[in-house]
Amino acid sequence: MDFIILAITALLGLYMAWNIGANDVANSMAPAVGSNAITLKRAIILASICEFAGAVLVGGHVTDTVRKGIVDPNFLASIPGMQQGDAATLFVIGMASALLAAALWLNISTWTGMPVSTTHSIVGAVAGFGIAAAGLDAVNWHKMGQIVASWFISPVAGGILGFIFFKLIVVTILGREKPTRAAIKITPYIVFFLVMVVTLATVYKGLKQLIKGLDWLTDTHTLLFALALGLVSAVVSQILIRRYLQGMDTLPLSEQLEKVEEVFSPLVVISSCTVAFAHGSNDVANAIGPLAAVFDILQSGTVQMQVAVPTWILMLGGVGLVLGLITFGHRVLETVGKKITEITPSRGVAAGVAATLTVLVCTRMKLPVSTTHTLVGAVIGIGLARGIGGIDRGVAKKIFTSWIITVPAAGVVSIILFIGARAFLFDIIKPLIIANSG
Amino acid sequence: MSFIQELFGKSPFGPLVEHTKKVTECVEVIRPLMEALVNEDYVEIRRLQDQVSKLEYEADLIKHEVREHLPRRYFLPVDRVELEKFIGCQDKIADKAEDFAVILTLRNTKLHPDIMDKFFDFVDQVFVTTKTLLTAAEELKNLAEVSFSGVEASNVLKLLDGLNEEEWKADRIARSLSKDIFALENQLDPITLLFYEKMLLVLSEIANEAENAGDMLRTMIVT
Repeated sequence: MDFIILAITALLGLYMAWNIGANDVANSMAPAVGSNAITLKRAIILASICEFAGAVLVGGHVTDTVRKGIVDPNFLASIPGMQQGDAATLFVIGMASALLAAALWLNISTWTGMPVSTTHSIVGAVAGFGIAAAGLDAVNWHKMGQIVASWFISPVAGGILGFIFFKLIVVTILGREKPTRAAIKITPYIVFFLVMVVTLATVYKGLKQLIKGLDWLTDTHTLLFALALGLVSAVVSQILIRRYLQGMDTLPLSEQLEKVEEVFSPLVVISSCTVAFAHGSNDVANAIGPLAAVFDILQSGTVQMQVAVPTWILMLGGVGLVLGLITFGHRVLETVGKKITEITPSRGVAAGVAATLTVLVCTRMKLPVSTTHTLVGAVIGIGLARGIGGIDRGVAKKIFTSWIITVPAAGVVSIILFIGARAFLFDIIKPLIIANSG
Repeated sequence: MSFIQELFGKSPFGPLVEHTKKVTECVEVIRPLMEALVNEDYVEIRRLQDQVSKLEYEADLIKHEVREHLPRRYFLPVDRVELEKFIGCQDKIADKAEDFAVILTLRNTKLHPDIMDKFFDFVDQVFVTTKTLLTAAEELKNLAEVSFSGVEASNVLKLLDGLNEEEWKADRIARSLSKDIFALENQLDPITLLFYEKMLLVLSEIANEAENAGDMLRTMIVT
């Protein structure tokens, strides 16, 4: 019978992942589609591959945090008066409630057109159930403090990196007397850097965890492999760019700038893919962290502290993200493509690289951060470098408001669902879990 | 929804360059107006006045579009107040070009042959001044693309360096032309003299506003 509980939680996780895919996809691919660098269909296919790869290869890190970092299952078990199986049952009910609460909150905000962070939703929801289950002490406030701090730090880091990358592009290419000639020289370095980052993020640790028997793939080998691949891509890109821009340095400056932006178009596709990858690696946890926790309890009666997240769960999350992408991404990206956008490819690349680096570092540190907010930070960084024609005040306010209210709102929804579920389902689920662990 | 996309929204610099182009079209009507005046073709003058009125109206629409968006934006790459003053100056250039056309329609005046050459010199100099500003302003979109720095920025600043001198030249011709006009006081009726002077003043103001706009543009780039 525990299979039913697992199946229901898996469905909730899938629903949440689908929500996340639908909610966030546009932001990672928006610069690519918005600057007409790629067709809608291809953008969706590419984003699907990258989101899935990110989720399966690197998704385990943050999943660990969501499944046991925010509410510690051992704390629930150590509360005096808890009978055998009580804590595990509460945990299962709570995680399922948190999933449903976060997904519902996401749905509500999508209807009302509010830009909500999926990460903030699930963290708020998990913390909410913890408080409802066993009071304020149930939440690991030390970990929670780290997470919330990362929500401040990640947009700022994205902003600083965005500022630096954009300034570099301006100083080395756009601000030159002959931008096309400078682009032939400098762009291969950007390609090298992008490919290096993507390869390292994909291969380093992730691939080895997924496929057993890759012992020859040591860290040194990984680094060498990334270097080689980066070098090859850089050389190929230089040949292509040279062919495209050769002899254009006699054109008027404005036309040269246009040509340089055209060269940046394929790069913005790559950087959008890296954002999708980073998003998959960090945000899949929002859907499958609770599922992984429930799976642990059903298997062993407690949340395992040292066990890796099962690959099938990561894959389920990846599938959910892709489903959201396919069902909603089309509609969302279509409007993006039609809107007049001010995101030129050079800005798209700078913002994309900044966000990717920030999110991947946070993923490594097991911190659930918001990809969208990091991107917003990067955009503002470029704005401070005088790179954009300002940002819309209304939208900025909306993002900030939802930034503030998401955690408590998702928490409250989660508490209500948890209390309801505990009242009706506790006595049904508890025997199942005891039977299973015994 | 893609909030990143919405966050960027619409940059003011595209419409701003559109405004500059419309104002340029307004200014380009001045010389044909003068030629029509010399030919005493008052029908043509009325036609041109209609044309410039229409252009000025279109420029106004673009100006409103830019201004409506400005207060709702954070992180503009240039100072908002300077940007508003700049577009205000550009707006006045279009206004004055229209005024000039209207003045010519007020009464069927003939241009006295003694001042004709100098008047045309003056009109040309005002045009050169304004054109310098408008050429620089048309670069605003490219300037935004290169984040108001690098070679593009120094090129535009160099263009603007010439502007002050052009305006000074226009002023000098205006003073000398003014003297020539009043030297005709025994040959012409006072109304015609005042009429010439009125034309001259409006044209001087166009050159002046071009210089002011140039100063704003410069501080926008430098800050």
